[in-house]
Amino acid sequence: MDKTIKVLLVEDSIADATLIQEIFFDENIAVQLHVVRDGFEAMDFLQMKGQYTDSVRPDLVILDLNMPKKDGRELLYEMKNIPHLKSIPVIILTTSQAEEDIVRSYALNASCYLIKPIELSHFTKLVKFINDFWFTSVKYPSKDSQ
Amino acid sequence: MEIEKSDEERELRVQERIVELAASEKLLRSKVMEIERSDKERELRVQERIVELAASEELLRSKVMELERSNEELQQFAYVCSHDLQEPLRVIANYTQLLSRRYKGQIDDKADTFIAFAVDASKRMQDLINDLLAYSRLQTIVRSFDSVNCMQVVEMALANLEILLTETGATVHYDSLPIVEGDQSQLLQLFQNLISNALKFRSKEAVVIDISARQDDGSWLFAVRDNGIGFDMQFEDRIFLIFQRLHTKEEYSGSGIGLAVCKKIVLRHGGRIWVESELGKGAIFFFTIPALISESQHG
Repeated sequence: MDKTIKVLLVEDSIADATLIQEIFFDENIAVQLHVVRDGFEAMDFLQMKGQYTDSVRPDLVILDLNMPKKDGRELLYEMKNIPHLKSIPVIILTTSQAEEDIVRSYALNASCYLIKPIELSHFTKLVKFINDFWFTSVKYPSKDSQ
Repeated sequence: MEIEKSDEERELRVQERIVELAASEKLLRSKVMEIERSDKERELRVQERIVELAASEELLRSKVMELERSNEELQQFAYVCSHDLQEPLRVIANYTQLLSRRYKGQIDDKADTFIAFAVDASKRMQDLINDLLAYSRLQTIVRSFDSVNCMQVVEMALANLEILLTETGATVHYDSLPIVEGDQSQLLQLFQNLISNALKFRSKEAVVIDISARQDDGSWLFAVRDNGIGFDMQFEDRIFLIFQRLHTKEEYSGSGIGLAVCKKIVLRHGGRIWVESELGKGAIFFFTIPALISESQHG
C-alpha cells in the first residue's frame, strides 16, 4: 500500500501551484499531489464525477479562497455540509488577510488558516511546517473506516 | 399808524415763514424720497446678494460633494490597486527568489547580478505597496476615538523598535506625556514613525531622542527632538509629502511614506504637524493634539 499522503490542492494560479510543487521537490517532500483550479473541479474530484471518475479520496485539502467560478468559501461550505466529505481536514492557503475571511473560514470548520508569504524563504518554511505537521505527524483515519 | 405798520410787518414775516416752511417741506419731501429710493436700491442689492450667495453656496456644496466623491474614489483606487498589485508581484518575488536559490553561481556573475536586481526591486515594490495600503487604510478605516495614554503609547512604540534601539544604542527621554482623545493604533504609528525616523537619520553622535508635551492654547503641543543629521529647512514641506525622499535609496532605505502617514494621522486628530531643523544639527518634530475639554477649561 502506498502510504504517501494524498493532497488535493485547489488553486487557480498555476504559478502558485507550481511554486508549491517546486518547494515540495526542493525539500524532498513526498506527497501525492492533485491540483484542481476551481471549486467546481474540486467538487467533481471529491465526488469522483466528471473528468475525475477515477480520482482518489484525499487525506487533506489545501484550499485557496479567491478563485473564479466557485471560490474557496463556497467549496468549504459545501464540503462541510456533505457527510462523507466533512471529515477531510481543509487548510486554507490564501493571500487574503481580511479578518472576515479568517473568522468565516474557522466558522465553516477549516482546520487552519495560512497566508501565502511573499518571501520565498518564508513560503518554504511554511510548506515545511505543513509537511512536518499535516503530512508527517497527523494521524488520519484508515481507508476502511472512511 | 404804528400799529398798522407792525401788522403789515408781521403779515410779511408770516408770509416769509410760510415760504420758508414750504421750501423746507419740499426739501424734506425730496430727502424722504431720496431715502426711500436708496432704501429700495439697497433692498434690491440685498436681494441680488442673497441670490448670489445662494448660487455660490450651491456651487460650493456641489464642489464639496465632487471633492468628497473624487477623494473617496481615490481612496478606493489606492486600496484596490495595492491589493490587486500584490498578487502578480508576489509571484514575481517568489520566482525571482526561486531563480536565485536554484541557479545562483551556475550561469555567470552577470546573471547573478541581474537576478539580484530583480529580487531587490520586487521586495522594494512590495514595501511600497504595503506602505501605500497602510496609508490609504488611514482614511478608509474610521474608528471612534478613545482616551489614549501617550506614556503607554510611547512605551509600546519603544518596545516595537527594541531591536533598532539596541543596535543604535539610542537613549530616549520621555516624561509626563498626557492622556489625549484619539485612535491608539494610529497614535502608536505616529510615535513609532517619528522615533524610527530619528533613529534612521542619526549622526555619528550617540542617538538621544527627547519626547515632551506641554499645554498650549487648548491643545497639547508635542515635540520629538533628535540629534541626528537634520536637513535643510528649504525641504520642510516636502518631507511630509507622500513618496518624497531627500536621500537616495542606497543612502537610506524606505519608501518616503512615514512622515506622510504622520501628517495624515495628526490631521485626522484635528492637529498640526511641522518641523524645525538645520543641516547637521538634528530636528524637532512638533505636532498638536486638541486637549480634552475638561483640561482645556482648567488650563
